[in-house]
Amino acid sequence: MTEDGAAAEVVLVTSGDEKHPPENITDRKMETFWMSTGMFPQEFIIRLSSAVKISLITVHSYNVRDLKIEKTTSNDITEFEPLAEKEFECTEGHLQTNDFSFNATTATRLRFIITSGYDHFISVHNVTVDGKYE
Amino acid sequence: MVKLRARCILLGDAAVGKSALAQMFRSDGAHFQKNYTMTAGVELFMKSVNIPESSDSVELFIFDSAGKETFLEACEKLWKQPSVLCLVFDVTSETSFRSCERWLERVRAHCQGLQVPGVLVGNKSDLSSRREVEMAVAQEWAQSQGLEYHETSAKEMENCEAPFVSLAQAFYGMYQDRVQTIQSLA
Ligand SMILES: Nc1nc2c(ncn2[C@@H]2O[C@H](COP(=O)(O)OP(=O)(O)OP(=O)(O)O)[C@@H](O)[C@H]2O)c(=O)[nH]1
Ligand SMILES: [Mg+2]
Repeated sequence: MTEDGAAAEVVLVTSGDEKHPPENITDRKMETFWMSTGMFPQEFIIRLSSAVKISLITVHSYNVRDLKIEKTTSNDITEFEPLAEKEFECTEGHLQTNDFSFNATTATRLRFIITSGYDHFISVHNVTVDGKYE
Repeated sequence: MVKLRARCILLGDAAVGKSALAQMFRSDGAHFQKNYTMTAGVELFMKSVNIPESSDSVELFIFDSAGKETFLEACEKLWKQPSVLCLVFDVTSETSFRSCERWLERVRAHCQGLQVPGVLVGNKSDLSSRREVEMAVAQEWAQSQGLEYHETSAKEMENCEAPFVSLAQAFYGMYQDRVQTIQSLA
């Protein structure tokens, strides 16, 4: 969700369980989640309703190990550029919360690539994007 | 409905029958290769296994690896983060059975701390007069390594699906378990 409370939606995902669909990533609820269904890498793309100057991305997840974020301002989804990369800590028994701060980077779409996990299956409960519309 | 995906590493000494077994599974028993063609590197194929009494399935991406040491390095490059393991030996070759420990060590180095379900397969059970490894011995070692033991004959189409089905089910069980854990967290 952006500062203005505008919509963000997941437009691509690499695996899925009907019971734990990708919409759960942007529904602002911590209880619902998207679950990967085996093998790495896994990825999903979030489309913002228009160009946003991003200051903060927060990811709530479980058993994610290495995550890369890429961004684009174009409609062509082949043109992503690297934005951030991080190794998450293993948090047994509770969710992982990781912040990525930026000095106002502009994007219309964000791509999240999970290259490894602490388990075969990982979950993403929520991704929030804070910033201002261009 | 859920469709899981598992990276299944098939490994063991050369000529124990890994490719023959994989072929039987892949073709539902329609194709046994009598003449030996050495696998050079890794052959990959996918086969889907349905989970009984559900609409769920597991797609096994089978990495049929060469047993010959020359290709080891090339194989290991493709063993990253395995989901399940299928370790094969030939029941008529004590040497191939003793190699299993070393194969297991090699592949476990790529597991990155993941819990990886595995099976041990004693193949060529049709050659009973030449048997060198007793079932009980193999079973005991398998158990000590946390592997489920199966005996197969790719030649006689005996039991060839069982190891793969059992791996798919173990992976599926793990998934259900994880979903439950995660549901209890949030
Ligand atoms: N009698 C008998 N022969 C078998 C059986 N399975 C495989 N063979 C024969 O054993 C030989 C080797 O089989 P492969 O499947 O190529 O062996 P592999 O383990 O893939 O060997 P590499 O690719 O070199 O690692 C072939 O001649 C097969 O026909 C079996 O169950 N019984
Ligand atoms: Mg082979």
